[in-house]
Amino acid sequence: MDIYELSARDIALGVRDKKFSAVEAFDSCLSRLSACEGKIAALITRTAERGREQAKAIDALIAKKEDVGPLGGVPTVLKDNMCARGIRTTAGSRILGDWEPPYSATVWDLLQNAGATLLGKANMDEFAMGNTTGTSAFGPTANPCDITRVPGGSSGGSAAAVSAGYSPFALGSDTGGSIRQPASYCGIYGFKPTYGLVSRYGLIAYGSSLDQIGPFARDMEDLALVMSVLARHDPKDSTSVPGKNFDFTLKEGAVKGKKIALVKDFKDFTLDSPIADAMKRVSDILEKEGALITEVSLPTVARYAVACYYAIAASEAHTNLARYDGVRYGYRVSDEGMNLKESFEKVRSEGFGVEVKSRIIAGTCLTEPVRSEEYYVAATRVRTLIASEFTLAFKGADCILQPVTPSLPEKIGFVDDDATKGYESDLYTLPVNMAGLPGLSFFTGYAADSGLPVGLQLVGPRWSDATLLNIGFELQKILGRPKIANGGI
Amino acid sequence: MSLTFTPVIGIEVHIQLKTKSKVFCKCGTDYTNDPPNSHVCPVCMGLPGSLPVLNRSVVQQGMLAGLALNCHILPTTFFFRKSYYYPDLPKGFQITQSDLPIAAEGWLEIHDDAGKLKKIRINRLHLEEDVGKLHHSTTDGRLEGASTSFVDYNRSGLPLAEIVSEPDVSSAREAVEYVTSLRRRVRYSGASDVDLEKGMMRFDANVSVKCSDGRWGKRSEVKNMNSFRALERAIEYEIKRQSKILADGGEVSQETRHWNDAKGVTTGMRVKEFYRKFIVEPDLPPLVVSSHWVDETRARLPEMPIERAARYEKDMGLSETDAAVLTDSIDVARYFEDTVKSGANPQRAGNWVRTEVLRFVNEKQISVDDLTVKPASLAELLARVESGKLSTTQAKGVFEEMLTGLSIEDAIKKTGAVEGGVGAGALLVLVKSILAANPDVVEEIKSGKDTKGKKVKFLQGLIMREAKGQAKPDEAASAIEAALKDE
Repeated sequence: MDIYELSARDIALGVRDKKFSAVEAFDSCLSRLSACEGKIAALITRTAERGREQAKAIDALIAKKEDVGPLGGVPTVLKDNMCARGIRTTAGSRILGDWEPPYSATVWDLLQNAGATLLGKANMDEFAMGNTTGTSAFGPTANPCDITRVPGGSSGGSAAAVSAGYSPFALGSDTGGSIRQPASYCGIYGFKPTYGLVSRYGLIAYGSSLDQIGPFARDMEDLALVMSVLARHDPKDSTSVPGKNFDFTLKEGAVKGKKIALVKDFKDFTLDSPIADAMKRVSDILEKEGALITEVSLPTVARYAVACYYAIAASEAHTNLARYDGVRYGYRVSDEGMNLKESFEKVRSEGFGVEVKSRIIAGTCLTEPVRSEEYYVAATRVRTLIASEFTLAFKGADCILQPVTPSLPEKIGFVDDDATKGYESDLYTLPVNMAGLPGLSFFTGYAADSGLPVGLQLVGPRWSDATLLNIGFELQKILGRPKIANGGI
Repeated sequence: MSLTFTPVIGIEVHIQLKTKSKVFCKCGTDYTNDPPNSHVCPVCMGLPGSLPVLNRSVVQQGMLAGLALNCHILPTTFFFRKSYYYPDLPKGFQITQSDLPIAAEGWLEIHDDAGKLKKIRINRLHLEEDVGKLHHSTTDGRLEGASTSFVDYNRSGLPLAEIVSEPDVSSAREAVEYVTSLRRRVRYSGASDVDLEKGMMRFDANVSVKCSDGRWGKRSEVKNMNSFRALERAIEYEIKRQSKILADGGEVSQETRHWNDAKGVTTGMRVKEFYRKFIVEPDLPPLVVSSHWVDETRARLPEMPIERAARYEKDMGLSETDAAVLTDSIDVARYFEDTVKSGANPQRAGNWVRTEVLRFVNEKQISVDDLTVKPASLAELLARVESGKLSTTQAKGVFEEMLTGLSIEDAIKKTGAVEGGVGAGALLVLVKSILAANPDVVEEIKSGKDTKGKKVKFLQGLIMREAKGQAKPDEAASAIEAALKDE
């Protein structure tokens, strides 16, 4: 067995016990990356030299018998919207040029302190706007389970890297499903924590009130381990909530006695048969393990969440993206003889892709003084309703079992003209961000006909993060873990 | 029939709140002698991924200013993103409380042009961040037509309070009285130094004119006034401009106008006013202020100048002028009150602070707090005058020495003043001050017109009186003679 195939826990243990060095672990992952990257294109930037230096430093500490942290010598990948000091950060866009942030995101500081080493920065939909990783200015990423298919998005590069065995875990960000959906498509685990549990400082914003950073991993134990490193109050992020000291040590027997709900209002929507089958199978398993399967009603969520989500995300996004004007950093144009407005226009016309432009325009329109009340403000009000509807639902249930998406990953380049399908594909992920809830995307198995991975989702009330991970851990015991995808080789 | 025009004016005042660090980051606010872009960080540069964290002392100072302007404090308020594009605005939006402010519904009292008291209502005081500073290569310092521009983000993120009045102001003079009173009260509260030269106070005016025939012109928002004089001139100009348009039967259009101080005119913005939109700032939770915090802040608010001056007149018998001068700034008022508390007669203390103390601090451009003569020492000196141990003239000489750092005893020794008697050294000082105070008499003596020595006798009499009979007349006469030779 190669080192790259090991879990994060086993790599950390191996490094600590000197079974192999951090540099060997790093090089094993790097060679796996080099073998697959031509087919997968999961990364925008490789950081081989920087990462190997980190690994050397870890080995030096080990030689001095010093503590290297719970992730000591474990290689990882960051989605390219997280700042790492001195390393090009693009958010999948042209507009940032070769910008190297002068500071690091809090999550990267935490991972470094825990001993992680950096393989590279992962591909993503431009500014996290998309669900295929196809809107990236650096080209698409392929799904390691089937390289003709999309890995999902927007954190598709991170998910593909973990799925293909580049690294045992990676970080993504989730604004409307951007961790959970690619985790499901790539056959791994992905967790979107409660809004406010993980610091957003240093995360290039899309929809600030919806964005949340979380991990991808190939098993629940690694997912929980990374959460135990990330879940820290950060005074640099005003929306980071203090006093939440969760114990992410996984515990046995989490399912027994839990009330797990299915959403009545989702029944009107059809699911691809492997997903429908998985829903049935998992709910049966949960029942057999001692859970009480119940039903909750979320009518406002089912009807309005998607529209409101897009109104809020676009409104916030158009302000978050207003800073990219070429004045201080990033993409520059030759603006000789141009006035200020012309120069701004040229930078933004050339620097942004089509999807980003359309959302900026949407956000601009929805917040115009004459329309704001009718759209933006109305959406924020409905959002409050959505949150209270969930709160009410969780009075009668510990968590909700639901799909991540209604269908399995599409072929790269496939354009779906069916608007209803677009709506349904967002229905199971977006509302979770609207209410700031935690959501776990977990692996259930492979579809019999296509062999594609099938994932499902557990959604809980705010701050039920540890509970969700414990239930996922129980399910993993029965459903089994995913294997490393062949990565097209 | 000739038409008359009534101006309707609202004033927006931006003040820089006094804090050590900026409103949303830890960068320092004092960069007076530092190079451009030396007090910046990812937050105030608006770098991707950076997040604002509200500085608690900005909230404190905002509340203090609001309370000084008779506002009430709102327990829960919000921040918004106000979007527009400009190179001095690093994020493409400004974080501002806008119309959901920390403080609202205040007022200030001023005199109308007829001298009657009137209230100017204050709509609100809201917190916001300052933008960077542009330096253009054009001669008029404006962006239009500049081939090169430089941006300094040291100012970006400084804490501001915007104070918006209701349109209760009716003339340029009223406007100046309003901002003068506002400035004094805010400085009193300690919320801001409101130093106009350092740009800590800036004004915009919303001016419209109502015509006696019932027509009402639309308002123009005049920007870019950085002094009381500029505010006054801009409003006067705008009233004339708008009145003339209405008198000629035209229509005043609603627009933003730029005050050009050098030319003394307002000009319409060539580019249409940037389109401004608001969304809730998602990176900042609602600002919740406990009633306990408000009470604590209110308790820190000192007695305001008008109330204080009234008390000086009523309880201490000071004249209106003296009371006004002594209460103009809080450090002077405190110095005066401490002197009185140390036992000085209020009227004498008031007189001394107003003349001797203020003359010195104004001359040296220092604050009274920096004086080496503390209120207790001044009171001690005045007590000696009160008891007749020192003459006023002697005391002034002693005070001069005390200002150099001497104790009262050493200063008395140095001037040679003998308490209850005037020694030779002190006599000379006394003579010199008497001569200085009577230049015309001295001139007459010197020109030889005083053949009978009447004028010398006159001066001799003054000296004897001032020395309270402690000097010998012949010594006084020879001292005068000696001093005149020196002149």
